[in-house]
Amino acid sequence: MIIVTGASRGLGQAITERLIERGEEVIGLARNTSGLNINAIECDVSDYASVKNASKEVKRMKKPVKAFINAAGVASMNMAVTTNESTVQKLIQTNLVGTIYCCQLFAPIMLRQKQGSFINFSTIAVALALKGESVYAASKAGVESFSRTFAREMADFNVRVNCIAPGPIRTDLLRGITDAQIGKITSQQVIQKQFQKSDVCDLVELLLDEKATSLSGQVLNVGGV
Amino acid sequence: MNIEQAKEIVISAINTALEGKAEITEDMQLIGGESLLDSMRLVEVCLALEDLADEHGFEFDWTSEAAMSKSRSMFRSVGALAEEFANQSEV
Repeated sequence: MIIVTGASRGLGQAITERLIERGEEVIGLARNTSGLNINAIECDVSDYASVKNASKEVKRMKKPVKAFINAAGVASMNMAVTTNESTVQKLIQTNLVGTIYCCQLFAPIMLRQKQGSFINFSTIAVALALKGESVYAASKAGVESFSRTFAREMADFNVRVNCIAPGPIRTDLLRGITDAQIGKITSQQVIQKQFQKSDVCDLVELLLDEKATSLSGQVLNVGGV
Repeated sequence: MNIEQAKEIVISAINTALEGKAEITEDMQLIGGESLLDSMRLVEVCLALEDLADEHGFEFDWTSEAAMSKSRSMFRSVGALAEEFANQSEV
């Protein structure tokens, strides 16, 4: 089975739907699972005890875990000087610390299998150093750095760790961002267009493919940088 | 489970990981420069202890705060690991 965090909305939801479409058994992790039409476990990735409980629940299922996809995340498009303290804390705690908690607490399941794949989410804002996204980009730069090192720690156990770094994909995270602002960002990509959730889902499928077993510790920037 | 039973189980798990190539003593370090176990073997020991705990009807949590804390880490010695294994069997 495949576990997806942030499965109730945005990219996590799109990835969950795509994986179910292709016949995978998916367990979605979300803070609020009411109304979700999938197998789901209530989990707040920013809370260690909550992630630990979810990992215990999955472990008790005694089923092989093919992949863990860390799609839960929050965004805030602000300059550092206009980002308040609680937003800074929330960005780091959810995006970076949440990813670390999920990786460290679900890794033992994959270590035992000597097989598996973690897919973490960064942003193209890291590579492009996008103005107005300093704290968000910092949280995601942490995810990239963690993922590259974690990949080395997992490699002996045949567990791969990679990051996908999307550009401005239309999800709730981009609420309030104008088309002109999106155009400014996409113009800095190698392929200068706005990609969609389906393109990110394609990359997830690519990383899960048996032919991708040589890929680990990599950051795939959607659109290229 | 008493401490002697726990020691026997822990030493057996370490012995398997080391393929019987070293004598295991109670004060042998499991982490740090003097450890005979590399990180991969230490993980294998933990996974083996998870299975053995399961056989004895309890869950062994090696990702607990006690495992991670350097000063009182259960990996500081074979004896400390056995003690933690015995403690968790009583919860």
